[in-house]
Amino acid sequence: MNQIELTLFLESAVRLGIPLALAAIGETITERSGVINIGLEGSIIAGALGGALGALAFEGAGLGVLSGAMAGLLVGLVFAVFAIGLGADQIITGTAVTIGGLGMTGAIYQARFGATGTELSLPTLAPVAIPVLSEIPLVGSALFAQAPTAYFAYLMAPIAWYVLFKTAWGLELRATGEAPAAAEAAGVRVRLVRFMATLFGGAMAGIAGAHLALAHAGTFAENMSAGKGFIAIAVVVLGRWNPLLVLFAALFFGAASALQFFLQALGFDLAYQIFLAFPYVLTLAALAGWVGKSRAPAALALPWEPHR
Amino acid sequence: MSDPLVRLRGVQRRFGRVQALAGAELDLHAGEVHGVLGANGAGKSTLFNVLGGLLAPDAGSLEIEGVQTALGSPRDAWSRGIGLVHQHFTLVPALSVRENLALGLRGRSLTEVGGVVEATMERTGLRVPLEATVSAIGVGDRQRTEILKTLLRDPKVLVLDEPTAVLTPEEVDGLFDLLRELAGEGRAVALVAHKLDEVLAVSDRLTVLRAGRTVLTTERAGASERALVAAMVGSGVADEIALGVHRTGMKRDAPARDPSAVVGRLTGVTGERLTNATLEVRAGEVLGVAGVEGNGQHELALVLAGRVRPAVGVAQVPDEVAFVPQDRRTEGLVPDFDLTENIALALSRLDRFGAGPLMPWDALEEEAERIRTRFDVTAPSVATLAGALSGGNQQRVIIGRELALGAQMLVAENPTRGLDVAAAAYVHGELVRLAAAGLAIVLVSTDLDEILELSDRVVVMTRGRIVVVPGNERTREGVGALMLAGRSQTG
Repeated sequence: MNQIELTLFLESAVRLGIPLALAAIGETITERSGVINIGLEGSIIAGALGGALGALAFEGAGLGVLSGAMAGLLVGLVFAVFAIGLGADQIITGTAVTIGGLGMTGAIYQARFGATGTELSLPTLAPVAIPVLSEIPLVGSALFAQAPTAYFAYLMAPIAWYVLFKTAWGLELRATGEAPAAAEAAGVRVRLVRFMATLFGGAMAGIAGAHLALAHAGTFAENMSAGKGFIAIAVVVLGRWNPLLVLFAALFFGAASALQFFLQALGFDLAYQIFLAFPYVLTLAALAGWVGKSRAPAALALPWEPHR
Repeated sequence: MSDPLVRLRGVQRRFGRVQALAGAELDLHAGEVHGVLGANGAGKSTLFNVLGGLLAPDAGSLEIEGVQTALGSPRDAWSRGIGLVHQHFTLVPALSVRENLALGLRGRSLTEVGGVVEATMERTGLRVPLEATVSAIGVGDRQRTEILKTLLRDPKVLVLDEPTAVLTPEEVDGLFDLLRELAGEGRAVALVAHKLDEVLAVSDRLTVLRAGRTVLTTERAGASERALVAAMVGSGVADEIALGVHRTGMKRDAPARDPSAVVGRLTGVTGERLTNATLEVRAGEVLGVAGVEGNGQHELALVLAGRVRPAVGVAQVPDEVAFVPQDRRTEGLVPDFDLTENIALALSRLDRFGAGPLMPWDALEEEAERIRTRFDVTAPSVATLAGALSGGNQQRVIIGRELALGAQMLVAENPTRGLDVAAAAYVHGELVRLAAAGLAIVLVSTDLDEILELSDRVVVMTRGRIVVVPGNERTREGVGALMLAGRSQTG
């Protein structure tokens, strides 16, 4: 790999890592409250469609991102109502939300733009190069000549970390995920905290989806989330439920995805599906103990009913 | 007497088919320590949880300072000045002590919390390791943290559910001094403790609950132990389990021991929380292991029971050791399994149940039925879920199951923690009877009275080391002093 190829590789690594980072930072907050939102994929695809429709309607990519966040939040709300409000099984609810999200967005897209999938051209979220920083050799353009949503991810990671570990709010959130009974006894409203954390996660996944549609593709396509919701959940595990590590884990996964293109480009004589599978193999490896001794929140995926 | 700070009348609460409270009454006055007595299942914890806003009563009234009130949540209870210290810890294991305290003072900034914590620790003398993770500290420290957390809010009414169960005698005395002081400041203090003499030592007034009803409220000065026990258990059985049974009447004069028959031997065992532990356990004796929680006695029990192999040193223990773990609900039984299944978990590997791949359910059910009858377990049938039994009955199931292993040695860790007088007396009687029958018994307990009453020999664990207590130092004071030597490790 020469210098130019390497720069290109890093750029695409970051570009592919950003949607994962956005979704995974949100999911970190959700999981820290004791909720595992398998329906993240549903929020991402809804965010992608919401972002596309919003950008068209308001004729601007910025408002498109906001629409994407709203769409992701609404899907998160559906999950929250069933899994938290009604205490339904989180895994099953999340799976239903994912499948429903993929189906609904496909249906809405076809109803709006026709079954043939008219080529949709959207206002795009153009990269913004940050002066000075983007001129750092090798990594500068990769990290600092990206869409604004990338900078949002860079900002959200430390903010989420600070809230989680340094504020009373974060303390209550973590207590809710570790020992809901203890949190309840301390006066924390467990289900409300979980609701809010899930909505936040949904909104972040929605922004990730909007980023896919507006910054990556410039269009919407059915199933364009392509499993990113599930990979984001693995990223949370790899990042040990710590937003800062999660950001790095997401970029690492981005690099794994970027690698597939480069291995193909370098002309390895293998079926391209093998390269496509690479990030997913990595996901399995991450989940199968690569993570070492990290520990999930003790009450993760356990429904909570106040026993009054 | 002035109007009470708290007045509970006709409180009822039902859980499924169980009427936990059926007309309980309680008055708490400013300046008093009020002891609440009752057998397991009498409704003490339920009543306290109602007072703490955790449970909504089905019927009944609550007045706080003369104002009719309904508590919708723990938060409501606090805002009206009621602080509840729970029986089961409500700390978050993964968080530090400081973070847990901050959680108790929610709504304030973390730095502000620091100042309040320091001031309260100073004022009350309750010292806890602030930076340690709760999962890494002993139960004594957890208890102190729990009490401190409640005191941070400066409650007018302090309600403590079984605060002494895990404390050493000195710590209990210290806690009681603190409670008296808090009452002296004009607060009302109410507590439940499973040891009658403790409640009597600290209380000004007493309320006795039986089967969810208040059956007696009396001044401490005018109450005899006999009358209180009679009120707790109902007059019919009072004589049989009058406190004397487990206080004095049970100790054997001379252990029927063959000194040559060493059943278990540890030589130089060193590992987590154990340093060069060397010990012999002999047939027919009760060996008492005392110590402040977290000084290695749990690890010692695991090695003696054959559950953990020491990394360094030699542990010679029988292949089968009967083991009564300290936490019935997480280590002893599977709450969602019925009695037969729980018993099968431990026994199905025995030869007499065959060796095939199929579970011999009929034989196991018979065995469960035998244990239920032999150990007098109050359960409708062996198909009852273990989680539905009271603590005392769960303990009977565990002891019965472990003894069915036919082991020569039994290791019991805090076997009467949280049991009422009658259930504790039963367990104590059973341990003494088994020793007399030739079993080697290791009794690990933080209850010093239990150790002193039942044991033929006593050792104390301090910082992972075993200190043998000579006969002439086998007093509360002597053993207590040795235990305290291990204090600095945990707090």
